[in-house]
Amino acid sequence: MTTYQFFTTAWTWNSIVFILSAVASVGYFLAFGQRGRPLFFAAAVVVFLFAFLSPFNALASSYLFSAHMLQHILLVLIVPALLVLSLPRSFSLRPPLTFLTQPLIGWIAGVGAMWLWHAPTLCNAAATSRTVSAIQTTSLLLMGSVFWWQVLAPREEQRLSPPAGIVYLFTACTACSVLGIILTFAPVSICPVYQHPVDRLGMLSTIRSDWGLTSDRDQQIGGLLMWVPMCAIYVTAILAQLARWHSCPAPQTEKSNA
Amino acid sequence: MNGTSTITEFRDAVLDPAKRAHYRLAWLSTVDHKRIAVLYMMTALVFFIIGGTEALFMRLQLAVPNNHFLQPDTFNQLFTMHGTTMIFLVVMPVLFGLVNYVLPLQIGARDMAFPRLNAFGFWCVPFGGILLHFSVLAGGAPAVGWFSYTPLSETPYSSSPGVDYWAVALFVLGIGSISFAINTIATVISLRGPGMTMRRLPLFTWINFVNAFIIIFALPVLNANLAMILIDRQLQGHFFLPIGGGSPVLWQHIFWAFGHPEVYIMALPAFGIVSEIIPVFSRKPIFGYEFVAASSVAIAVLSLGVWGHHMFTVGMGRPLDVFFAISSMLIAIPTGVKVLNWTATMLGGRIRFDVPMLCCIAFLIQFLVAGLTGISHASVALDWQTKNSYFLVAHFHFVAVGAIVFAVIGGLQYWFPKMSGRMLSERLGKWTFWLMVIGFNMTFVIQHFLGLLGMPRRVYTYPDLLHWGWMNMLSTSGVFFMSAAALILVWNLATSFFRGKVAGDNPWDAWTLEWATTSPPPHENFVALPPIRSRRPLWDLANPDRPDPIVGENSAAVTLPDHNKVGILSFILSEAGFFAALILAYLYFYARPQAGPGPKELDVPRTLVFSVCLFASSFTFWRSEVALTKQRRGSMLGWLTLTILLGGIFLVGQGTEYWKLFQTGVDLSTNLFSTTFFTLTGFHGLHVLLGLIALLIFLWAAWEGDFASGRRESAFKSVGYYWHFVDVVWVFVLLTVYILPLLR
Repeated sequence: MTTYQFFTTAWTWNSIVFILSAVASVGYFLAFGQRGRPLFFAAAVVVFLFAFLSPFNALASSYLFSAHMLQHILLVLIVPALLVLSLPRSFSLRPPLTFLTQPLIGWIAGVGAMWLWHAPTLCNAAATSRTVSAIQTTSLLLMGSVFWWQVLAPREEQRLSPPAGIVYLFTACTACSVLGIILTFAPVSICPVYQHPVDRLGMLSTIRSDWGLTSDRDQQIGGLLMWVPMCAIYVTAILAQLARWHSCPAPQTEKSNA
Repeated sequence: MNGTSTITEFRDAVLDPAKRAHYRLAWLSTVDHKRIAVLYMMTALVFFIIGGTEALFMRLQLAVPNNHFLQPDTFNQLFTMHGTTMIFLVVMPVLFGLVNYVLPLQIGARDMAFPRLNAFGFWCVPFGGILLHFSVLAGGAPAVGWFSYTPLSETPYSSSPGVDYWAVALFVLGIGSISFAINTIATVISLRGPGMTMRRLPLFTWINFVNAFIIIFALPVLNANLAMILIDRQLQGHFFLPIGGGSPVLWQHIFWAFGHPEVYIMALPAFGIVSEIIPVFSRKPIFGYEFVAASSVAIAVLSLGVWGHHMFTVGMGRPLDVFFAISSMLIAIPTGVKVLNWTATMLGGRIRFDVPMLCCIAFLIQFLVAGLTGISHASVALDWQTKNSYFLVAHFHFVAVGAIVFAVIGGLQYWFPKMSGRMLSERLGKWTFWLMVIGFNMTFVIQHFLGLLGMPRRVYTYPDLLHWGWMNMLSTSGVFFMSAAALILVWNLATSFFRGKVAGDNPWDAWTLEWATTSPPPHENFVALPPIRSRRPLWDLANPDRPDPIVGENSAAVTLPDHNKVGILSFILSEAGFFAALILAYLYFYARPQAGPGPKELDVPRTLVFSVCLFASSFTFWRSEVALTKQRRGSMLGWLTLTILLGGIFLVGQGTEYWKLFQTGVDLSTNLFSTTFFTLTGFHGLHVLLGLIALLIFLWAAWEGDFASGRRESAFKSVGYYWHFVDVVWVFVLLTVYILPLLR
């Protein structure tokens, strides 16, 4: 299969993903109606669908560790951030879940989602079993949302103060960079499945020779994706914290429009 | 007492032999931030003369082709010493000196947070400098470049002790720099005057505050690298020697993980100086304060992750090249934002062309050139062609001299009146400035073209190829102009100190707090602080009818965090960087197993038992802390003793592990596993030992009744943070060294 054929035909029809997105959208409008911020929610759904229906999913699920990493980043950082942003201003977590608003829990969730799923066994399992993959996706979305809650929570007083937010993001960035560095320089395969992929679509020779992505290079790119672009996301968030800090007037002017 | 200012007194006292002895001692034993600052700058000046002379000799050797004025080895030694001296003994100390003087004044503090630590940090500079230069007497200076690439710097290729002195000296200097950074962070967070909120900080203070964080992350990484090369050289370790499976490229990775942030450690304070001078001499507030402040943070964070662009020519592979190229290009954005802010500040201002401003204008132009040639190195293909040529020499001298040195000269001219009470001569200052502009550009502009014509860097001589001869001659001629500029500067400093025009409190009509006190300031810095509501308190004071808009809330009654806590947490951050480097180095080699002993030699169950003791000691320490808060002396002493015992048991456990390994013939030099194992666990053990010593001191103090009525509770808690940290490090070491092999 050539590159052109691949990108035109490898779009997958995944009914579960569609049903989930539809149910989530309906649920969102039933729960929040006009109060929410539907644009953010729509963006979250679009990115989610892209992650699972586009050819990247085909690459991520059987061929390339780096594509898997891209999917991972979308699911743990981009989609949850958009989801948290889509919540109405009046939203807050109810008692059994309030423990999730602890900064330490948020930090561990965000960083843990990265480290946990790159333990070789789990990484392999997620790439081979659909059940584990579904668990992985769910946990990434949840842990990512818990992570972003500290910085993007609907109400100002639920968020960390900007300086604390900077520390929170910077340390998370460092912890993920360290993992990225390990993946980049590891001489052994972190996720051995991708070393000898099952060539379901007949793409392997194109990937290996036309794209020049040997399994070593593939893992390096995966590590670098976690290291550099992910850090760029955190740096952007840090800059947003600085902007918030310098623009925020006295906190009492903030009104909840419940 | 107002009016008794250190420097005025000093000036009178030099002339009186009886007082002279007293003042000599007073300066040597000082813990006053103003005196320490002056000592920092004087030391930097001494080393500047040394480092400058080294440069002069190198340029004389390079003036004509096929020259034999210097031996190749002598040239290499001068070359190494020049780079090391200028970076670690000139630029860093002079900037630290300026910060030390100005930063506490700008925030209305009486001194730095830890005056004695401040003195310690300073004394590391002359001590490190002497260590480095002692190598000359001990068999030859290092001749491996300031980057000291392995394997050249390893024993088989550099057998004289020069590299050892180099590494130890830099280790000492690194410790000094880290203590300075810890002090800066604690000062800014805990010692701000009433009304001086974080959002109202002058940019010089803010930028140096951000810079202190780069220092505490970057310098420990260098120190870890230095520890590894010393272990290689002194204890026959295998880190960087290919012959035992070591990796010379790892040295480069770790070195540049420090080395690139180091560029910003030197450049950010210069940005801070420029951000103070340009508004004052344009008679306008800075354009876009928030952007200058935020872009500094962006530079700081990005600078930690772009080191790979120093290694494109090493052959890291295309993926690494591409990502590092992109991230390096990103840094141009916040830097460009800053240049825009400075120029926009000047736009429409009533610009006064005094020497500080002239220096800033030259800084802007030359820094722009430096930035443009710099960004060209982010392009991998271009970098391959120019990296090892004089083009790169020209680039980084445009940063180091064209930007940083010019900013420092401007800063000296600007703040000298505050430090001495007298103005530097404008006339001599202009001579320095113009000679410097001519000399600097004569020396370094042409080197861009030399590089493009293919002249390699790091060579002691070169063949007589077309144009190379006259270009090098021109480059060397420029050095004499720069030397003249430096001599005039020194002359200016000396004569103005005694005979300069009296400055008054605020000679430049500036707006930040350091100008609200006398010149020089009294020992306690301020008699009373003006009200602070905006970023320019002195403007508000002088123009009550049109003050600056109030920035943020006016929260006078905020209690600032305890400086002991801030200090120890900063220290812990730096230690975390050190251990992260060691653990990553361990993992790097763990994944590339060598023949001989491996993790299977380790006794995991026994280590787990001893680990439990260490972890339990964190709990017992916490109980001891609770007892201290509740004023139960006996219980506190008991828990503290138990903590020390548990820590001691852990050390004994580690000792027996070592002993067993030694018995089976495994020591540090056996193979890469043993080298990395003993290094990592050894450094951790050393930290436990230091923690135990600190705890023993506290036990003794508590025994003597020093903690009665809650005194020094914060000091006790600070040591506790350190002790918990040592335990947390062990969690990671345990996981990496003992548990990870079990999962295979």
